[in-house]
Amino acid sequence: MTSAILQAINGVSLAALLFLLASGFTLSFGLMRVVNMAHGAYYLIGGYVGLSIAEHTGSFALALAGGGAAVALGGFFIDRFLIRRTGENHLAQVLLTVGVAFVIGDVALQIWGGDNLMVPAPQQLKGAVVLPGGIYYPKYRFILIFLGVFVGIALWLLYKKTQIGAVVRAGVDDREQVNATGINVDRLFVMVSALASFLAGLAGVAGGAFLTLYPGAEWEILVYALVVVIVGGLGSLEGAMIGALIVGLLDAYGRWLLPEFSYFVLFGPIALLMIFRPRGLFGREH
Amino acid sequence: MDRARLMLLVVALAGAAALPWIGGPFWTGLATQMMIFGLLALSVDLLLGHAGLFSLTHASFFAVSAYTVAILQVRYGWPTLAAAPAGILLGTALAALFGISVRTRGVYFILITIALGYVVWGIAHRWSSFTGGDNGVTNVPFPAVGPLAVTSHTQYYYVVLAAVILCGLGYRVLIRSPFGLGLRGVKASETRMQSLGYRTGLHIYVAFVLSGALASFAGVLYVYYNKFVNPVAASFPVSVEAALMAIVGGTGTIVGPFLGAGVVLGLRNWVSSFVEMHHAIMGAVFIATVLWAPQGLVGIAARVRARLKGRDG
Repeated sequence: MTSAILQAINGVSLAALLFLLASGFTLSFGLMRVVNMAHGAYYLIGGYVGLSIAEHTGSFALALAGGGAAVALGGFFIDRFLIRRTGENHLAQVLLTVGVAFVIGDVALQIWGGDNLMVPAPQQLKGAVVLPGGIYYPKYRFILIFLGVFVGIALWLLYKKTQIGAVVRAGVDDREQVNATGINVDRLFVMVSALASFLAGLAGVAGGAFLTLYPGAEWEILVYALVVVIVGGLGSLEGAMIGALIVGLLDAYGRWLLPEFSYFVLFGPIALLMIFRPRGLFGREH
Repeated sequence: MDRARLMLLVVALAGAAALPWIGGPFWTGLATQMMIFGLLALSVDLLLGHAGLFSLTHASFFAVSAYTVAILQVRYGWPTLAAAPAGILLGTALAALFGISVRTRGVYFILITIALGYVVWGIAHRWSSFTGGDNGVTNVPFPAVGPLAVTSHTQYYYVVLAAVILCGLGYRVLIRSPFGLGLRGVKASETRMQSLGYRTGLHIYVAFVLSGALASFAGVLYVYYNKFVNPVAASFPVSVEAALMAIVGGTGTIVGPFLGAGVVLGLRNWVSSFVEMHHAIMGAVFIATVLWAPQGLVGIAARVRARLKGRDG
C-alpha cells in the first residue's frame, strides 16, 4: 500500500515535469503548426546551462531563470532562421529539427562531457517530508509538483482569461482571419515560441536536479513528451495536462510492477487511443 | 529503358562485381553496409516516396529480425535456413501489429511511429536477461546453407549484392503493379481514391506490412555482416538516418535510397576519421538536405539533365 502511494507521487511529479515540456510543444504546434523535435535537446541544454549557473552562483532560482532564458534566446534564432523556412511541411520540420537536436546534443557532449550530471538543488529543498502514515518522501519532488501546478494554472489563465490568450486561441482556430483583423500574428508567434522554449529550458533545470543530465536524455524525455502530446491531442493545453498525468502514472507503476517492460506500458494507451480516438483525447482536425 | 541507362546499369554491375579486387576490404565493407542500409532506406521509402507516410519506426523491424536471427543461431543453434526466415517472420509480425498506426496521418503518424520505435528500443535495452542488454548478442556466425557456407566478408559481399539485386527487381515489379499505382494515388489524393472505391486504409496497411518485411530482411543481412546486434540497431537515429538516406538520394526511386546510403555512410566514415563530432555533422546534413536539396541527388541530377536538354533544344 505504501509503495502504491509512493509510486503515485512519483508519477505525479514526473507528470509535472512532462507537462512543462509538453505544454510548449503542443502550443507551438497549435499556433504555428510547428513540430519541433529539438524540444528534448532544448530541455537538455537548458539543464546544462542551469547546472553551470548553479555551480558558479550557488543559486537554484537563477539557474532556473538562466536555463530557461538561454534556451528561449537560442530557440528564437533556430525558429527564425531555420524552422520558419520549412513552411508547413511537417516532414521537413521533423528532419530539420532532428538535425538541430543532433547538433545541440553533440555540442553539449563536447562542453559538459558524457557523465551523468546532477543540477544541485538548494539545501532547503533537499531532505524528506514525512507524510501522514509515516511515509518519507523527497521534498524536491513535491516542489516539482507545485511548480508544475503553478505553471499549469498560469498558462491556463494566460490562455483562457487574458486578451493575449484569446488572440492565441483565435490564431489556433484560424490564423488568416486573425491576421486579417490587423493583429500582428508574427509577433504572437515569436512570443509563443519563446515561451515554449523557455519552458523546455526550465524543465531541463528542474528535471536535471532529480533525473540527472546525460547524452541521450534529450531523446528519452522527448519520447515521453510526445506520448503525452499524442494522448492529449496536439495543440490542446488541457490535453497536455491530462496526458502528462496518464503517462507519468503509467510510467511510475510500470517501472514498479514490470521493470523490464516499462516502455511497453507506454504502448498501451497509444494503441487504445489509435483505435478509438486517433487524434487524442482533446485533439481536432488540422 | 533507353540505351544510356542500360549502359550505366551494366557498368555499375561490372563495377560492383569487381569491387573486392579493386577496392580491397575497406571499400568492400563500406559497400556491403551501403547495400544493407540502402535496403532499409528503400523499405522506408515504400511508405515515404510512394504513399507519402513518414515512418520513424523502421529500425524496430530491422532490429527485431536481427535479434531473432542472432538469438536463434547463437543460443539455440538453429541453422541459417530456419533462423533467417524466422527473423523475417517476426519482424513482419511486428509490422502487422504496428500497422495500426496507419489509422493516423501526417504529424500524428510521425509522432506515433517515433513512440513505437522507442518501445522496441526500450525492450532491447532493459530486458537484459533475454536480449543481453547493452552488450546485445555477439558471435553471430556467417550464414551457411547445407554444405554451402560463407567464410569471408568478401564472399558475404556477393551474397548481399545478389540479395539486393533481387529485392530491387521485386520492388520494381511491386511499385509498377496496380497496387503500387494505388499507393501513389493515395499520396496524391486519398479522398479521391476513396471516392473511386479504393479501400485506402487497407491499401496503406498492406504497404506498411510489406515495407516492414523488407526492413526485416535488411535486418537479417545486417546481423550476419555485423556479427552482433545491440540496442543501437533499434534506436531512433537508425530510423531517422534511414529516412535521411532515402531523402538525400531521392524519394520515390529505387537507386535513390542506395545512393543516399552511400553518401551518408561514406561521409560519416570520412568525417569520423578526423573529428569526434560526427553526430553534429550528421545533424548538419539533415539541415542542409531540408533547406537546399529536398529532392535529393536524383532530383538534382534530373534538374541538371533538364537544363542541359533545354540548352540543346
